[in-house]
Amino acid sequence: MDDYEKLEKVGEGTYGKVYKARHKKTGRLVALKKTRLEMEEEGVPSTALREVSLLQMLSQSIYVVRLLCVEHVDKKGKPLLYLVFEYLDTDLKKFIDTHGRGVNSRPVPPKIIQSFMYQLCKGVAHCHSHGVMHRDLKPQNLLVDKEKGLLKIADLGLGRAFTVPLKSYTHEIVTLWYRAPEVLLGASHYSTPVDIWSVGCIFAEMSRKQPLFPGDSELQQLLHIFRLLGTPNDTTWPGVQKLRDWHDYPQWQPQNLARAVPDLDSKGLDLLRKMLQYEPAKRISAKAALHHSYFDDLDKSQF
Amino acid sequence: MAANFWASSHCKKLLDADEVGHVLPADQERGLTPEDVKLIKIHLSTYIKLLAQNTKVRQRVVATAIAYFRRVYTRKSFSEFDPRLVAPTCLYLASKAEESTVQAKLLVFYMKKILSEEKGFRYEIKDVLEMEMRLLEALDFYLVIYHPYRPLIQLLQDAGLTDIIQTVWSIVNDSYRTDLILMYPPFMIALGCIYIACVIKDKETRGWFEELRVDMYVIKNIAMEILDFYENYRNIPEERINAAMAKLPQRS
Repeated sequence: MDDYEKLEKVGEGTYGKVYKARHKKTGRLVALKKTRLEMEEEGVPSTALREVSLLQMLSQSIYVVRLLCVEHVDKKGKPLLYLVFEYLDTDLKKFIDTHGRGVNSRPVPPKIIQSFMYQLCKGVAHCHSHGVMHRDLKPQNLLVDKEKGLLKIADLGLGRAFTVPLKSYTHEIVTLWYRAPEVLLGASHYSTPVDIWSVGCIFAEMSRKQPLFPGDSELQQLLHIFRLLGTPNDTTWPGVQKLRDWHDYPQWQPQNLARAVPDLDSKGLDLLRKMLQYEPAKRISAKAALHHSYFDDLDKSQF
Repeated sequence: MAANFWASSHCKKLLDADEVGHVLPADQERGLTPEDVKLIKIHLSTYIKLLAQNTKVRQRVVATAIAYFRRVYTRKSFSEFDPRLVAPTCLYLASKAEESTVQAKLLVFYMKKILSEEKGFRYEIKDVLEMEMRLLEALDFYLVIYHPYRPLIQLLQDAGLTDIIQTVWSIVNDSYRTDLILMYPPFMIALGCIYIACVIKDKETRGWFEELRVDMYVIKNIAMEILDFYENYRNIPEERINAAMAKLPQRS
């Protein structure tokens, strides 16, 4: 680890601190993620193992943050793992915030939203095609290179390869605001559409510059969703009433989605609507989203 | 949605026969022959299975652990990496990777219980944890393994042969006593196992296999490898195993 000079702490990952550092020989900036070893009885945390093995598999894509190497150090006889990632200067949350709030507020340029959405769908499609769902997509987990206009998916600690039947995963996963309704309602089987829901929420948030469904409890989260998209029933979402955590909810009619994202054009609105489909099987896939007409006027040669 | 084996590191790292059966120079010096290596791998695969039964982990974890174990020894020598420690550590690592973690304490408890009599099997928690790190490096942190179990079910449904699933499943389990998992795509191994089961159970499936348009030559090779195990290695006399194990560096 002597090869790196730690510059500052930039955040707290799923299982440890993240530092900005410089590789002394090359001057290259990197992000160092140290694996926390709180239970030293159990060696390398399984979250770290999962993240490393998934990243090994996924980080050939430029839309997934690149794992450069794994460094193993012995600190006073205790093994520590450092994951060395490429460094990006900001994340999507901070990026949205730089466009100001209140009187100084200016929208995120539509061309940037379009480009970011395309890169996000590319990255998600890449993960899904490798049998990996992310399960915790949110603006803080999307790293941004402002200069180059790049967006990359990070923090795959909760991702998993779904090589086993998609059953009974732990339910406490996705940050509430981006959590898909089937997860909130306790579905025992869920799959890649949960990521697409998150992508939809992020899409809306880039346009609105504030979260679409800022719930502070699971119930509140559902009510936020129902209030905008209408309370689902067996017609709009077959089988919803059989889900484990289904209760009787207030009956809302669907609102006009356009009003929630006034700055989004009609094609963007159509894509958003397809991402926020209640029925998971009907939700658009990441791969199909890439072919949506919203991206028609995007110069794809750069991707 | 099916997980994508073809895009995986597992797929890209498939090896040829001469890359798995060889004896590394350090082991040659100790007098280990390809036959010894084969016996040691089978013996320790059985050990992994025993440990797994005691610690109550799923077959899938066993399969992943054995795949790690076999992959490690394509690059590392038995002299440098003691298989008596590598085997349980592979199980430990696989249990984490497959999200059903076995506590190191419990694992070491059963390690002592099962083979405490045998020389050289005494290891402590700290040894397992140290080896875990070395294994991660030896495996380049590639931990995702695809197995024949899932394609197997799909294939049997397609062939209308779900009645022989138990038989095929056991054959797939036994395929881990060979290096096949390092060499062939999982669905091909599944087909090789189905092929054997159909012969045993006297099922007529030639037409179905033909329609699959897979390379029957490869399928038969896989089947031969498994049949070789059944014929020659299913019940290995203890003296042969002991003789092979005796060539490993002895621990006090």
